[in-house]
Amino acid sequence: MALFKVISGRLYQAFLLLVVMSLIGFVGIHSVGNPVYNIVNIETATPDDIRRATELLGLDQPLWRQYLVFVQNLATGSFGTSYIYHLPAFELVLSKLSATIELAAFAILIAAAAGTGLGLLAGTRPGTLVDRMVVIVTVYALSVPSFWLSMMLVLFGAVMTGWFPSGGRGSTVELFGWEWSFLTADGLKHLVLPVLALAIPNIALIARLARAGTVEVQRADFVRFCLAKGLSDRHILFRHTLPNISLPIVTIVGLQFGGMLAFAVVVESIFAWPGVGKLLIDSIQLLDRPVVMATLTFVAITFVALNAIVDLLYAVLDPRVRISA
Amino acid sequence: MTIMTSLRLSQRRVRGALTLPNGVLALFVLAAITAPVLAPQNPYDMLQILGWEASSPPGTMSGNGYRYLLGTDGLGRDIASCILYGLRISLVVSVVSAAAAAAIGLTLGVVAAYFGRWVDAVIMRAVDLQLSLPTMLVALIAIVTLGPGVDRIIVQWATYARVVRSVALSEAGKPYVDAVRTMPLSHGRIILRHLLPNSIAPAITLLPIEIGHAVALEATLSFLGLGVPMDQPSLGSTVANGFQYLLTGQYWISLFPGFALFALIAAINFAGEDVRRLWDPRSRSL
Repeated sequence: MALFKVISGRLYQAFLLLVVMSLIGFVGIHSVGNPVYNIVNIETATPDDIRRATELLGLDQPLWRQYLVFVQNLATGSFGTSYIYHLPAFELVLSKLSATIELAAFAILIAAAAGTGLGLLAGTRPGTLVDRMVVIVTVYALSVPSFWLSMMLVLFGAVMTGWFPSGGRGSTVELFGWEWSFLTADGLKHLVLPVLALAIPNIALIARLARAGTVEVQRADFVRFCLAKGLSDRHILFRHTLPNISLPIVTIVGLQFGGMLAFAVVVESIFAWPGVGKLLIDSIQLLDRPVVMATLTFVAITFVALNAIVDLLYAVLDPRVRISA
Repeated sequence: MTIMTSLRLSQRRVRGALTLPNGVLALFVLAAITAPVLAPQNPYDMLQILGWEASSPPGTMSGNGYRYLLGTDGLGRDIASCILYGLRISLVVSVVSAAAAAAIGLTLGVVAAYFGRWVDAVIMRAVDLQLSLPTMLVALIAIVTLGPGVDRIIVQWATYARVVRSVALSEAGKPYVDAVRTMPLSHGRIILRHLLPNSIAPAITLLPIEIGHAVALEATLSFLGLGVPMDQPSLGSTVANGFQYLLTGQYWISLFPGFALFALIAAINFAGEDVRRLWDPRSRSL
């Protein structure tokens, strides 16, 4: 019962915070620029055109009434209609989702596998050349600004060698009502460079975590006990070391997957990848307020939800969490 | 500790600081300060730019009598000069905003610990909310609600607030704080003169690493066209300028400024690790 009280108290606080945030966010976003100038043709529009466009968008209403309309839209889950595309804003975000998801999913899978592998490799040989290389190279990999990394991938992978296309999604196939690139050979080719751009910093991050964990676990008594018992190195590594370093890795994979939905902004802009991030940047620049609100809300909620899922995964992975809960 | 051992320790610290990345960082700072002397051209002064020498590859001789060591961009600006001037903007913007973020975060963290109750609850919920979202997302939200601008990097305050609050909480329970509370001093004076100086050390080691983050964030925002204004190019916006030329093989416009940016961030990150190692006694033995 006490637990229930804590949780409901936290939820109440979070809800209150969201209401305040939405109010501040709403007032803020409506004080930046005038979206009408992006909708009418600024060279030919008469004052009359501008007035009519303003009325059509409901921007002539007082701010409190616009806020009520916004809350009403929020309650029905539509977030209003895009000023530019004339589609329901939330539907627009969902239609771009498959592109971002396939990008982020491939990147995080590669990063998790390669990062853990490198971390185990380095962590089981502390102080050796391999280990020192991994430690140093990962610092550099984490220092590369993601937009420059993407541009260099375009330069070396597309412009100079012509191996991969420099942008776009290629041909797609429809499945479950969404377009997917990874189901066609052409689409896969288009995926390679942006996936690498997203994966490389995460490989470095995960490798560092996995290395630190492995170094610590290898010194633990139970590993020495396993050795004394005569288990093979491979068996110890995969059945005993790996499960013990998996918690921080799962945490960072969850967080980074959520982060990619936000950070894909940069990679998507450079590779002209029509995902949620590109939609967000375009909408910010065009002052398409309903779409901006819908995208930011969606990304934020996804991120918080992923955090919750990671917390649940702890209980699955770590028996100690299960028992104490 | 005898004088000799402390001397030897400080000697080791000095020698420990003489690493290649720190040398690179010192060079960067020096280059940024002396940019107007070092750079052959002032890239903001349209009179010094020869428009017909736009997009010259590296090594081309300029009609103005110097060599474009790293080529020119689409407007005819010397890339080497752009890097030197961009370095100034990148460094100033990120140091100032990281310091401002630290000031805001430290103050709010100590205030939360000192007053407790609802003040603490409000501040810490805001910290929770901010830290639960990626920095990039928070920066974009700030840009959407406050308009574009490079000062939005201040969104990094929350980390400081959390670190300093945890220290200040234990400090606030100590007798000396009770003692000053009995004196007729204002809350502001107690917080700033007594509580803050005693709680600040662990949070301050965050500063170099946060400056590194700020350089990267500033560059990213400028790249997306949401940061510094275009007529005052930082390293990030210089790289962005080169993007459209990249596809036609004019690699030098974004390759070199981007490499400078990368080297700068890497040097700051290594220096940040050093600072943490030297200041944090727990990790000094490692």
